[in-house]
Amino acid sequence: MHDLNLMVAGPQGSGINFTSDTFAKVMTREGYHVFTNAELFSTIKGEHSYFRVRVCKDMIRSYSERVDILIPLDAKSVMLHTKELSKDGSIIYEDNLEDPRHAAIPYKDILQTVATKFGKALSELNVMKNTVALAGATKMIGLDKEKIKRVISENFASRPKIAEMNNAIVDEVYSDFKPGRTFDLEPAVYKKRMLINSTHAVGMGKVEAGMKFQSYYPITPASDESNYLERLMDKYDFVVEQTEDEIAAINMAIAAANAGLRSATSTSGPGFSLMVEALSYAGMTETPVVIFFYQRAGPATGMPTRHEQGDLKYALSAGHGEFPRVVITPGDHKEAFYDTIEAFNIAEKYQVPVIVLLDKAMAMSNYTVDLFDLSKARIDRGKLILAETKDYLRYKFTDDGISPRSVPGVKGGLVTIAGDEHDEDGHIFTEDAENRIKMMDKRMQKMASVLRDVPADMKVKFYGSPSNKKVVLSWGSAKGPVLDAMEKVGDVSLLQVRMMEPFPVEDVMKYLKGKTIIDVEQNYSGQLADLLKEKTGLDVSARVVKFNGRPIAFEEMVEVLSKPKLNGREVLTFD
Amino acid sequence: MEGRCLHLISTVSPAAKPQSYKTNVEIDWCPGCGDFGILNALVLALQELKIPNEDVVLTGGIGCSSKIPHYVNVNTLHTLHGRSLVQAQAVKMANPRLEVISASGDGDGLGIGSAHFVAAGRRNVDMTYILFDNGVYGLTKGQASPTLPYGEMPKSIETENIKFPVNPLFLGLASGFTFVSRSYSYNIKHLKETLIRAMKHRGLALVDVMQPCVTYNNINTKEFYDPRLYDIEKEGWNPVANNEAEYKQKVPQAVLKSLEWGERIPMGVFIDYQTETYDQKLQKLVPDYGKKNYVMDPIHSNGKPLNDVTDLMNSFC
Repeated sequence: MHDLNLMVAGPQGSGINFTSDTFAKVMTREGYHVFTNAELFSTIKGEHSYFRVRVCKDMIRSYSERVDILIPLDAKSVMLHTKELSKDGSIIYEDNLEDPRHAAIPYKDILQTVATKFGKALSELNVMKNTVALAGATKMIGLDKEKIKRVISENFASRPKIAEMNNAIVDEVYSDFKPGRTFDLEPAVYKKRMLINSTHAVGMGKVEAGMKFQSYYPITPASDESNYLERLMDKYDFVVEQTEDEIAAINMAIAAANAGLRSATSTSGPGFSLMVEALSYAGMTETPVVIFFYQRAGPATGMPTRHEQGDLKYALSAGHGEFPRVVITPGDHKEAFYDTIEAFNIAEKYQVPVIVLLDKAMAMSNYTVDLFDLSKARIDRGKLILAETKDYLRYKFTDDGISPRSVPGVKGGLVTIAGDEHDEDGHIFTEDAENRIKMMDKRMQKMASVLRDVPADMKVKFYGSPSNKKVVLSWGSAKGPVLDAMEKVGDVSLLQVRMMEPFPVEDVMKYLKGKTIIDVEQNYSGQLADLLKEKTGLDVSARVVKFNGRPIAFEEMVEVLSKPKLNGREVLTFD
Repeated sequence: MEGRCLHLISTVSPAAKPQSYKTNVEIDWCPGCGDFGILNALVLALQELKIPNEDVVLTGGIGCSSKIPHYVNVNTLHTLHGRSLVQAQAVKMANPRLEVISASGDGDGLGIGSAHFVAAGRRNVDMTYILFDNGVYGLTKGQASPTLPYGEMPKSIETENIKFPVNPLFLGLASGFTFVSRSYSYNIKHLKETLIRAMKHRGLALVDVMQPCVTYNNINTKEFYDPRLYDIEKEGWNPVANNEAEYKQKVPQAVLKSLEWGERIPMGVFIDYQTETYDQKLQKLVPDYGKKNYVMDPIHSNGKPLNDVTDLMNSFC
């Protein structure tokens, strides 16, 4: 078979993520492309959740509706997910099922054997049922058991006894379980790859970029990134500060930036809402702060662990008054890494707040990525002054609107930051009309420079043949399923918008003028289609939207793009 | 208990010129405003401590008092309403070599900014927080602020104040401020000395300044405070706690003193306790924190990042 889809389903806290993570890691090391999708209920323990792992020798960027191996860890999961199991798939479950696809593994015998060997009660090993199922699946695929055991040992590095028991289970399954069916996956050519999500990519990007200060308040799905950085701060020498609220988080990041550090905060929709006043302040004070905004399903608390791209217009317009900002929207983990580094460069070069807009799917979907090419990483701190200076004015008028930037501690370079309208010297006792015009012009003119200087592939990326009449317009994580579907549907191209503000009108027009535009977004209204209309006057012919809290699946994308004629609005619903 | 950064700076830097701590910016406070006393005392304190101007950061929030950064010739961050203290802490965390002072009004600090006030006590960042305490929101024409006593009705408000007041000293003690004091804007000598002690204190210092608003608060005036304020240290109170046991023994007494409000109103230093500061606590997590200079040390060489994430990439393979 070309690609294989494994699903692990069960109550939160029953080890479903351990099972899927271990499988994904083993397959990554076998040289396969791996794509995972996590659908979690917003609780810690008990509620139904499921993980999908898709593996293929070729590049994959989306999850599949089809399940080949189903591992339900409770009866509810059997009920809910058997319908997704392909007709020649297998279901690995401990109790007897009336289903011919049932792969019966003697769970009890295996666990009893291992319990006896380690002098434990059978009940103590109940939590390791998932390992029985995992080993059953890997045996059906024909994987070397030693490779599974190695990953288990790494996962339980701090608890060697637990690792030993789990590995004994793997041994028992491999000797006792005689599967009636096997899965012959087309072999992969080994290549070293990382299995990561965007919180890792952004975290590594921040380290590479020389970020020294990150503040955050816990929120799903953004705090995984801050927690990852907390594990790195001793070695790479920076500070991660958990604050009392998001208002403090953004204000601390702003102050640290004005003190001279590369500084950022990470949040999701509700937290971003609390940051909005300070975002406006960062625009007014020309502070180079970077905000990483992981969208989740709103409004209000919404569905905290579920996916959506519903905050595009919000990120573009949040904050009172008019001020320059840059909004970058990476579409995969690799872009998230390089964009993170570039976000700090843009912030410091133009002295503007930068928003990097990500989403839940990117935050929680682990997939394989080639190692980053670090030789491409550059740092540009713009007009930062760290040596003695004189006649210094923080907001000095210049040709490009960008003033030299001193920081506290620089002799002769006293910094005067003010959120009120100010003179060149940062003092606020002017409401002079002429000064107001000059200051507004100074700040706003930076956007033209950003648009001029940012490389073309940071603004948009075009995929497919330019001669195709149909072009999908999309952004963020929706890019993955579109690219995968394009391999099945020949006559369509993709224009991925990567920078939303300033909006790259010329680049977009170049690819979309005269085309049939199909907007694909994971939100209710098709916000990018509205933005396109506003900025270019172009209309899309169809808005393909998905807003049920789940990312777009491969098959539903293929189905909709294959339609000879699309409705003006197409709603995707697969869960 | 001299502050570490003060000690370092005063031994390596030349003395600052007198008067150089004042800017030439025209001051727009009302004539006779209590804020003038705080500005003068702060400038005198900086002159006496001789900290180079470029090594001082003064933050303000929003309000009359929060305009003080514009009048002091140091690095200044005029922040948002309620965010003076939180930005000040971040500046100090970003660069522990700086002397950081935060100013805000009682509305700024204990109304809209109260979450930060409480959280600041948990960190104990080595800095000084000056609370301009006048019971009203002056810049918006005198509405009741969080410290206005219950039942009072200064001429600027429409109805009597039916909310109980926040006690900044009590809240400071409860939140974990390690130096808690009160002074008076018409007693420049006491205020200057208190500010110097607060700045020299290694840890988070609160200076609650009774500061009459001559325009809107016709109750808590100079005439009100002059006969009432008394110095607790002159009456035998020793605020210094040398260890945790002494601290635990002294805090309840300090709280009792802080509750006095009537014919006699206490001022002076209520608690002065040297314990772990936030930079010391951060060093537990980041061993090189404070040893390296995050601001001045380069992060790249000719554009090439000095950090290398190769090991991190490998950890995911």
